[in-house]
Amino acid sequence: MILKSKDLVCGYSKKPHINPVIKNIEFQIEQGSKVAILGANGCGKTTLLRAIGGILPYEGSLLLDGEEVRSYKRRKIAEKLAVMTQLSQLYFSYTVEETVMLGRYLHTNHIFGNPDDRDKDVVEKCLRRNGLLEIRGKQIDELSGGQRQRVFLARTMAQETPILLLDEPTNHLDLRYQAELMEYLLDWCKEDPAHTLIGVFHDINMALSVCDQFLVMKDGQIISAGSKDVVLSGEILKEAYEMDVESYMQKQLSFWS
Amino acid sequence: MKQKTHRAKIIISCILSVIIVILCMSIGSVSVPVKEGVTIVFHKITGTAIPDSVNPSLISILWEIRMPRTLCAFFVGAALSASGAVMQSVLQNPLASSYTMGVSAGATLGVAILIVSGIANTALGMFTLPVVGFLAGFLTVIFVIGVAAKIDHNMQNHTIIMFGMVFSLFVNAILTLISSLASDHVQRLILWQMGSFSGRRWIHAGIVCVCVIVGGIILMLWHRELDIMTFGDEQAMSLGVDTKKSKVILLVIASFLTGAAVCFSGIIGFVDLTVPHAVRRLFGSKHKYVLPMSMVIGGAFLALADMISRTILAPREIPVGAVTALVGVPFFVWVYFHDSKK
Repeated sequence: MILKSKDLVCGYSKKPHINPVIKNIEFQIEQGSKVAILGANGCGKTTLLRAIGGILPYEGSLLLDGEEVRSYKRRKIAEKLAVMTQLSQLYFSYTVEETVMLGRYLHTNHIFGNPDDRDKDVVEKCLRRNGLLEIRGKQIDELSGGQRQRVFLARTMAQETPILLLDEPTNHLDLRYQAELMEYLLDWCKEDPAHTLIGVFHDINMALSVCDQFLVMKDGQIISAGSKDVVLSGEILKEAYEMDVESYMQKQLSFWS
Repeated sequence: MKQKTHRAKIIISCILSVIIVILCMSIGSVSVPVKEGVTIVFHKITGTAIPDSVNPSLISILWEIRMPRTLCAFFVGAALSASGAVMQSVLQNPLASSYTMGVSAGATLGVAILIVSGIANTALGMFTLPVVGFLAGFLTVIFVIGVAAKIDHNMQNHTIIMFGMVFSLFVNAILTLISSLASDHVQRLILWQMGSFSGRRWIHAGIVCVCVIVGGIILMLWHRELDIMTFGDEQAMSLGVDTKKSKVILLVIASFLTGAAVCFSGIIGFVDLTVPHAVRRLFGSKHKYVLPMSMVIGGAFLALADMISRTILAPREIPVGAVTALVGVPFFVWVYFHDSKK
């Protein structure tokens, strides 16, 4: 079991239980699984991802490889998992390549942080896989939202961790890159059976095509967990999104016929 | 190709900076020709006798007055610029500086108490004001960081900035109170605040130089963390940087540099704010380049400002802080906005 939580409480006030966003949840994630966290806006998906990434303090228990996430040193946790958060404002601009190279931070041991050949190879590969080779010299503040999203995705990939936490990775991406991202993630999962993916998805179809396990959240709690068959029953999604998801999806499909 | 132009820019900037510093030593009420200057410096350094052909008054003007003064200005400029670059990146705020963190308010209050109480006039030696200025400024920042860490467990940037600014205002209020009650001393206090390099000796230049070298080396060891922290705490943490620890260390070193600068020069604004921005424009945002180039360019800029401050209305001297803003604003506007379309 790579991740295991019990009575997990998490929030943004000094003491998480005072104004909790995540309320006493319990879940288990096995090594090698591909997990999608689904739920309506504000249900605590991103907060859960932050707690797993060790970015937010929490109460209760959250074990990563058998040890409490809070007891990890920053370095140690970043060797195990890479988090791609939602885009934030940029104040100082770097080039695409420089930004992706920052993903190699923990791998580079040179005193002045000069990248070695392996760092360069990995960055090259991540740039290529995200369609960034042609704009590698551009400043990231000149890029569109989708291009920027791909830059940060490439940086997260360059960390080469066995666990990936992605917060709405398809945000800002056009259809082509959504499709490519899907392929990319599937490839990455196949590369090594230990590769574990945990993602927050708005796009249920994307989640279905990449993931084999689902956590459905509502109001800071997990209302359903398990495989596609268990979770995707109309009732559970109806409860989570407070709408008839299934007939909405079918209606959308009907436009194509 | 890009690498090459980058390297060329660095080399040209360094050469220009050295030329500026040399010119600053040569220009003044009495001009010291570069050739004589070189002879004097050569013989002083090698400890050999200076030929009689050189006017003895030039020797003392150059060696005892102008060189230490210019170098002092250079190192103060280097310290302020490096510290400004760090503050902006760590706090993720293009307007942040040590002054936002209360260095100047604290240092001025310390000096004000010394001047008003009359201790400054007693025979404690010429280092009383600088040492007190340094300690008061530095301790103010430590206090600000300490309290920010207490109120906000995650030490978020806006907490640090907000508390720093509020506390600076509080200290400034005390300062205003003291000035209004002890109006006899106001003139001296204002002069100290405005900043000047007049009468700086080798010892001052030497102390600031050591601080700059030590601080600069420590900062350079953190250049990658600085790069990463400009993307924000969350991203920095997920890349493996212990943001809380790094923030404390980097802010303390940056404040130490400003404190060391302020104590020998008074409050000189503008350099720490603008030089790093100009450097980022010219050399990109990587701190591997931003830090050393800020030091070189900031140093040359302040040496130039000091030279202007003592020559433009000679024999009167105008406050160097006024010059940095008057010269700096047009320069900054040009560098920052001329290629904003690119």
